[in-house]
Amino acid sequence: MSALPVIDLKDASSFPSRRVEAWKYSDLRKYLREAPAPSPSAAIPMTGGGPFEGLGGEPMAFVNGRAVGVNTLMACGTQTVRLRLISKAEATGHATTARISARAGAKLLILETHEGEGSAYVAHNRLELDVAHDAEVTRIVLADEPEDAISISQARVRVAPGGRYRQTVVTTGAKLQRLETEVTHLGQGADVRMDGLYALTGARQADLTSVVDHTAADGTTSQLTKGVVRDAGRGVFQGKIIVERGADGTDARMGHHALILSERGEVDAKPELIIYADDVQCAHGNTVGNLDQNALFYMQQRGLPLDEARALLTEAFLIEVVDRIEHEGAREVVREWLTARL
Amino acid sequence: MVAVKETIDAVAALEKYEHGFTSDIDTEYAPRGLNADIVRFISEKKGEPEWMLEWRLAAFERWQAMEEPTWASVKYTPVDYQDLFYYAAPKKKEGPKSLDEVDPDLLAVYAKLGIPLKEQEVLAGVEGAPRYAVDAVFDSVSVVTTFKKELQKVGVIFMPISEALREHPELVRQYLGSVVPVSDNYFAALNSAVFSDGSFVYIPPGVRCPMELSTYFRINASQTGQFERTLIIADKGSYCSYLEGCTAPMRDENQLHAAVVELVALDDAEIKYSTVQNWYPGDAEGKGGIYNFVTKRADCRGDRSKVSWTQVETGSAVTWKYPSCLLKGEESSGEFYSIAITNGHQQADTGTKMVHLGKNSKSRIIAKAVSAGKSDSTYRGLVSVHPKATGVRNFTQCDSLLIGKECGSHTVPYIEARNGSAQLEHEATTTRLSDDQLFYAQQRGLSQEEAVALLVNGFVRDVLQELPMEFAVEAQKLVAISLEGSVG
Repeated sequence: MSALPVIDLKDASSFPSRRVEAWKYSDLRKYLREAPAPSPSAAIPMTGGGPFEGLGGEPMAFVNGRAVGVNTLMACGTQTVRLRLISKAEATGHATTARISARAGAKLLILETHEGEGSAYVAHNRLELDVAHDAEVTRIVLADEPEDAISISQARVRVAPGGRYRQTVVTTGAKLQRLETEVTHLGQGADVRMDGLYALTGARQADLTSVVDHTAADGTTSQLTKGVVRDAGRGVFQGKIIVERGADGTDARMGHHALILSERGEVDAKPELIIYADDVQCAHGNTVGNLDQNALFYMQQRGLPLDEARALLTEAFLIEVVDRIEHEGAREVVREWLTARL
Repeated sequence: MVAVKETIDAVAALEKYEHGFTSDIDTEYAPRGLNADIVRFISEKKGEPEWMLEWRLAAFERWQAMEEPTWASVKYTPVDYQDLFYYAAPKKKEGPKSLDEVDPDLLAVYAKLGIPLKEQEVLAGVEGAPRYAVDAVFDSVSVVTTFKKELQKVGVIFMPISEALREHPELVRQYLGSVVPVSDNYFAALNSAVFSDGSFVYIPPGVRCPMELSTYFRINASQTGQFERTLIIADKGSYCSYLEGCTAPMRDENQLHAAVVELVALDDAEIKYSTVQNWYPGDAEGKGGIYNFVTKRADCRGDRSKVSWTQVETGSAVTWKYPSCLLKGEESSGEFYSIAITNGHQQADTGTKMVHLGKNSKSRIIAKAVSAGKSDSTYRGLVSVHPKATGVRNFTQCDSLLIGKECGSHTVPYIEARNGSAQLEHEATTTRLSDDQLFYAQQRGLSQEEAVALLVNGFVRDVLQELPMEFAVEAQKLVAISLEGSVG
């Protein structure tokens, strides 16, 4: 059962409005009243190899919703996949569904990029991901889309007992951008780390929504999301951790911290804990604020110009999320990608 | 360690719900069901002015067009609004309401509940001991209000709202519905149409109310809803502390309690509102108990005004309650301290809203939830910062304690920051009662239940400290009683 509403781009009645609790802060219906015209599906040449090209691995690419090669992948052993979701459309819409599974004992690195090259498009990307017993999957998402795009990404992840899942989503937002992850956590030693980062300027919006459902005992989840909002940007974080009856021994932690660096910026957060088992450790923390004035003062006193001091503190604040990426190569690519956009 | 000793005594001595007795009081009812005629009947009974009747009828019309909310995380058998009595009043003899003339049967009820209705009794204590003025509401009417004269000397108006409608209609008209509008929500609209009594408090400018004011609500009649309405106005620079207590008999049916409380704090005024809610929670199988659907809101419309809500929620089968603060004034502040304890089949969906509209307004939320048995407890809260409200600060802490395998505890906070100068912090934890601590306490000679009571009292201490002293003692006992039988 999916806790989050299912969306079909061809059916406008499936577009949630803010009256749907899970979409309270991202009113899709306000931006999209009718189903968009389909994007051109003829073969469109891809440009370059994407931000993660240097790390090699097999490409799995979709252009305007059409799979360039395969759309299903079964990983075994140690493998890297570059999942590229490319939008080259103008004011049209497209949807993709990718299915990836990691077999028992596999070690899979998914380097996912949302590459927006057109404008005002509507993209809907679905990912079904299966992490088998003792498999380890790392998913790193870089979303780089135009400011007038509407983009919805919905990942459904199933983590089998003893499986490990690591996710880091980094985004600069869009007109309306929703990056949704729903994890079914089967516990028994399974371990999930789910991080997010948003850096928003102009009138961009990013919505990082997640549901982690602990259905069995002895699972762990650690979640850290950080964001910086400038101008009239709007950051949304909704994180829900469910501990079902019998899921004893669950250890779940969630943190969301945001900086609003402008007068008109907005951050909406809803960190939820839904708990039906008593032998658990669950906590969440949420802060919204501005840069530490004392630190800024100290840095200026040491001779740094105010702008530089601000930039340094902001980067230091965000980089904690990047530092948690265990794969060194991917971590460095993300760091450079982010620094270039700050 | 007097407090600990008392907790232990309380656990040992008291039965599950000590206020569960019914009293055979000769009662006058309105006809069963709800329609415009019932609204007229209530208004006429109260001798209300014409505008009030119109206000009620408009509310009734709104209510009919509204739908009962379903978003709270509670499940209950729907209320049949046509199968309730909306007005039940103890039949009283003719004449003015001096205490001597109050029905002795009624006085006996209050004596049994331990509520001091006789002024001399309260005065008999040690000199300088805190005094309490009490407004006792029995089903739909206020039966007695103490210390009225003494309060009048300093200009404080403390009386049943039905009386205030006759004696100070201009004040009531100015403020009634100005904090919780008629169409605010389903239960508020229902209350606006059929409310029968409650307290009215007005503290004049610069006056510090000389004693604690309190209202004691008792539902006695069966198949009756209680709809009380409280309105407290603290004029510029004034202060008052208000306490609210409530109990009901044990009955198999679910009874509805839909109250509206409105607080208005003008410049530099402060209101401290404390509740110990001990409505009948239903039996061990979850049969019976009160549905407590309450709208409480404070309007800090003055600069530097302050409202502090403290609540201890131990009763009710289902609770739906969010005491809130609209922080409109500059540098106004709101506080919310809450203990919600659920056991058996109780469900509580409670929390607060802090709406920051004024510059440099501050708020603080400390919510502690303890769930045991098969109960379910949810903290649902909102902290929102308006784009023009610069320099806002908020601190929120929600802690939940779970006792047993079949209970649930949930935290659903909403944080909405619409400008860059706000500083908001929120933290929440959920854990169970530590085995190590229980073991340690038992090893020191406490029984398991005593150990649980001791640890839980420690867990909720931050909130207990905010209660006026007499209430704190009562609350501490309640904490112990509510959790009786929750372990092992």
